[in-house]
Amino acid sequence: MTIAWRLALREMRGGLRGLRLLIICLFLGVAGLAGVGSLGEAITAELDARGQEILGGDIEMRVAQREATPVERTAFGRVGIVSASIRMRAMASRLDAEASVLAELKGVDDRWPLYGALKLAPGALRPRPAGLDVAIAPELAERLSVRLGDRIHVGDTSLRVIGLIVDEPDRVGEGFTLGPTILLSQQGLGATRLVQPGSLFTTRYRIRLAGNQDAHAIAERLDDRFHDANWEVTDRSNAARGLRRTVEQLRQFLTLVGLTALIVAGIGVGNGVSSWLDQRRPGIATLKILGASSRIIFRIYLIQIALVAAGAVVAGLVAGAAVPALVGKIAGDALPVEPHFTLFPLPLLVSAGYGLLAALLFSLAPLARAGQVSPAAIFRARVEPFGLPRWTVLAPMAGAGAGIAALAIGTARDPLLSAGFLAGTVAVFALLGGIGWLVRRGARAVPRPRRPLLRLAIANLHRPAAQTDRLIVALGLGLTLFVMLAVLQTNLANQIERTIPATAPNFFVLDVPTDGIDRFRRTVRSKAPDAQITSVPSLRGSVVAVRGVRVADMKPVPKGAWILNGDRGLTYASVLPQGNEIVAGKWWPADYAGPPLVSIEEQAAKALALKPGDAMRLSVLGVEIDAKIASIRRVNWETMGFNFGIVFAPGTLEAAPHSYMATITLPDAHEAAINKAVIAAFPSASLIRVKDVVDQLSQVFGQLAMAIRAVASVTLAAGVAVLMGAIAASRRARLYDAVLLKLLGASRRQILAAQAIEYALLSVIVAGLALAAGTAAGWSIVTGIFELRWAPDWGVVLATLAAGATGTLGIGMLGSLPVLAARPAAALRTL
Amino acid sequence: MLQYSNEQDRFAGMTSPIIDASALRLALGKGSARVEILKSIDLAIGSGETVALLGPSGSGKSSLMAILSGLERADAGSISVAGLDFTRLDEDGLAAARRGRIGIILQAFHLLPTMTALENVAVPLELAGEADAFAWARAELEAVGLGHRLDHYPAQLSGGEQQRVAIARATAPRPVILFADEPTGNLDAATGAGIMDLLFDRQRETGATLLVITHDPELAKRCRRVVEMRDGQIISDRSAA
Repeated sequence: MTIAWRLALREMRGGLRGLRLLIICLFLGVAGLAGVGSLGEAITAELDARGQEILGGDIEMRVAQREATPVERTAFGRVGIVSASIRMRAMASRLDAEASVLAELKGVDDRWPLYGALKLAPGALRPRPAGLDVAIAPELAERLSVRLGDRIHVGDTSLRVIGLIVDEPDRVGEGFTLGPTILLSQQGLGATRLVQPGSLFTTRYRIRLAGNQDAHAIAERLDDRFHDANWEVTDRSNAARGLRRTVEQLRQFLTLVGLTALIVAGIGVGNGVSSWLDQRRPGIATLKILGASSRIIFRIYLIQIALVAAGAVVAGLVAGAAVPALVGKIAGDALPVEPHFTLFPLPLLVSAGYGLLAALLFSLAPLARAGQVSPAAIFRARVEPFGLPRWTVLAPMAGAGAGIAALAIGTARDPLLSAGFLAGTVAVFALLGGIGWLVRRGARAVPRPRRPLLRLAIANLHRPAAQTDRLIVALGLGLTLFVMLAVLQTNLANQIERTIPATAPNFFVLDVPTDGIDRFRRTVRSKAPDAQITSVPSLRGSVVAVRGVRVADMKPVPKGAWILNGDRGLTYASVLPQGNEIVAGKWWPADYAGPPLVSIEEQAAKALALKPGDAMRLSVLGVEIDAKIASIRRVNWETMGFNFGIVFAPGTLEAAPHSYMATITLPDAHEAAINKAVIAAFPSASLIRVKDVVDQLSQVFGQLAMAIRAVASVTLAAGVAVLMGAIAASRRARLYDAVLLKLLGASRRQILAAQAIEYALLSVIVAGLALAAGTAAGWSIVTGIFELRWAPDWGVVLATLAAGATGTLGIGMLGSLPVLAARPAAALRTL
Repeated sequence: MLQYSNEQDRFAGMTSPIIDASALRLALGKGSARVEILKSIDLAIGSGETVALLGPSGSGKSSLMAILSGLERADAGSISVAGLDFTRLDEDGLAAARRGRIGIILQAFHLLPTMTALENVAVPLELAGEADAFAWARAELEAVGLGHRLDHYPAQLSGGEQQRVAIARATAPRPVILFADEPTGNLDAATGAGIMDLLFDRQRETGATLLVITHDPELAKRCRRVVEMRDGQIISDRSAA
């Protein structure tokens, strides 16, 4: 064992008290990153492991508003075992019509599910629904107040509830739904008579492959063959695509927050190591007197830091690895799949890498300074500043910094965003450092106030060994985080509130029969004469080719060309819809009766470089239609009305089977009556109450906000630890001042006031920067990662900043209590 | 007594005097706060001499000792110690020069608090690459009467015992020069007297040159030579009466 190792191990016997800040900061930073990484991996792994179950098969063929033709069905059957299911929205009501709820109707064949198993709550009357039986989600049973054996009304029939669904294996893969599930057989679905030409339903054919075939390759072949017939093909490897994207987005954001926590923690590491080495100056000087070189000193302390850092990193990894299981236990219901406890080496390795690199980056400079301690320090306390570290120290520091940047950028889904985030963080540090320097210079330059407390407060900012820089960095980071959190929280909260216009309708109504639209209006008006009703024809269809190029051959599909993504809503109109504006071409005459014309939404047209006169081929209910683009429209998506990417001119779609969609706007008091009347008159229609949707979305945003708060609290904890560390580091000097002031007759309140003035001055100075930096970070997250609208609430942001400043001031004061409690006689003996 | 394995080497190239300083200057602080601590000091000390350095507080005694022992570098002047030109050495060079050549005893003991008495004495031997550091350190501690305190930490020792450990630590590598900065300043009179007896005994046994900073005229009388300082200058240099 080398002398450096021997001496390091001997030194460590003295305990690790001085390195508590390093341990806490590294632990928090690594635990945060490892936790986020492990949770993301756990969810993805669960999605991977249950890929077949989530998709409902090895391959899923999905089509809207129709079932497979015999030719298509035969083709699917050749690949493997096929199970068919149909999903649609429908109103379910009690037989006495006292309550009705929008539900998701799922009609399945006998082969369903191909993977996994349907699980009903104990006491079910049958293992699975058959004939006119249904199994329903417990939420629906509760809202309709029905029990097992009761009947509910759906469409044209009544169905018996035989069980409550505990687990519907392919539920996650079927995406976002507005209502609870009603599971029934295809016979039962037929009895409702809701599946009609033109009604909005989705048919899925899940295929179970025999043996170990390549699902992806087979799916691609099917896609090539059936893409033009509006089929959307998914295989088990990319089941729940949307969910995966969301998980990935969230993971990236939370990783950035975790990285911020680690960088904040890094500052704590640097401060902790500096303070610890300061306490060891006499020992270091003694070793130098005994003949130890700077290199040996550097090694002795590097070994100790490395051992302690490794311990803190391991502890952080253990805590982080436990996060998925912990989150699964606490918030399992809020997650699409329950993460399980499994060790995921990659995120743990990456987090350990971050932790060790941060420890190295931030402790090298103070370690190098320890090597510079003069043995003459034994004779006098030196307060002269140390010189800049030499290149032998700067080079590994730069290497560690580059390593962190490379890890952050290399493992990011959006490297540019990560790079920007890191650059922003470094810029904030540089700015805070610059402000620290200016404050010290400024405090030195201002004329000395006559009031002693104010004089002491200002002197504290620039005295030798003052902690001003550290305090400013800690305060600045803390307040920046507070602002960023407030910006994020208010943005999430405002997404819904601000998106919904004041005149938002109360109901969206789907599947109103074409021949019943006038009767529908009369029904509504009979209950609410002032109700505003808008209605539009509604079909589904997809774009097959643009200017002669097949969409199936466009790989990749141009970014922003959303109208090409599978089935889209279509309508036809004789007059320009409200809130739309023509930006190119001309709207057709109201009595147009020529060849098919379409009007395209502006952004989609831009993505595809479409202009009036271009040709498009669309497929509607299996019929291909060649149309010419007549105009490009600007659509105001924020009006909660019906907006369509593609609008047909009159004369083309009228003959196709279709239904109407409608909105009803009326005083809230009429809602219940309208609900009842419309369902009674139109059993096939679905009523979506806007308030219910808003509540559901609010819940989703609320969960997102909670996840952000959980991870950000780790960053804030690191920030608080750094602040406490900075205050503790200056405690000795403050203790000396406080004792002397007490000797001279100052009260504890006066001493506390001097410190309050100092911290308040610092808070005010950094608040402006915190507001700017926190807002910028929040903006990039809201618009860059979540792709949401920028809608912060400045009142709340400013109030949070003020509360944050007061809070940190409180923490500062708390850290000063030991100073106040010092008894002069006892303190003078030891100082 | 253990033999120092490279005793011949240590004395090789050494010329008398063992300490030779001329025109030493030292100032500390910057700008208006700059204070001249040493103003052109000339001092030569022969091998094996015992020298007391007297003077009031702030006269520059400790700073002169710091420069002579290589703990501090002078702003100007030349200094040769045990044949080595200290003005040419950087900080690590000075640290290497101290190893095995120079022992230093301080008023506040400055033992390493996380190490036992034995480990404290072993450190300079270990730094000098001595293979039998611990056996040697044990013998040194026994020689200063602390054979029963080997595994005690500094906090478990009395002031007098701590200073004995410091003396053992300073003399263990058989230095050619011993510096002691008010070694009895933190001790009561009786304990201080015992420590001085020990220090002079060890000096006699090792034949080292001894430079002691002290305020105590009685202690100064035990040295062959007394150098007195005031305001950063030597005001007298005489044989002890």
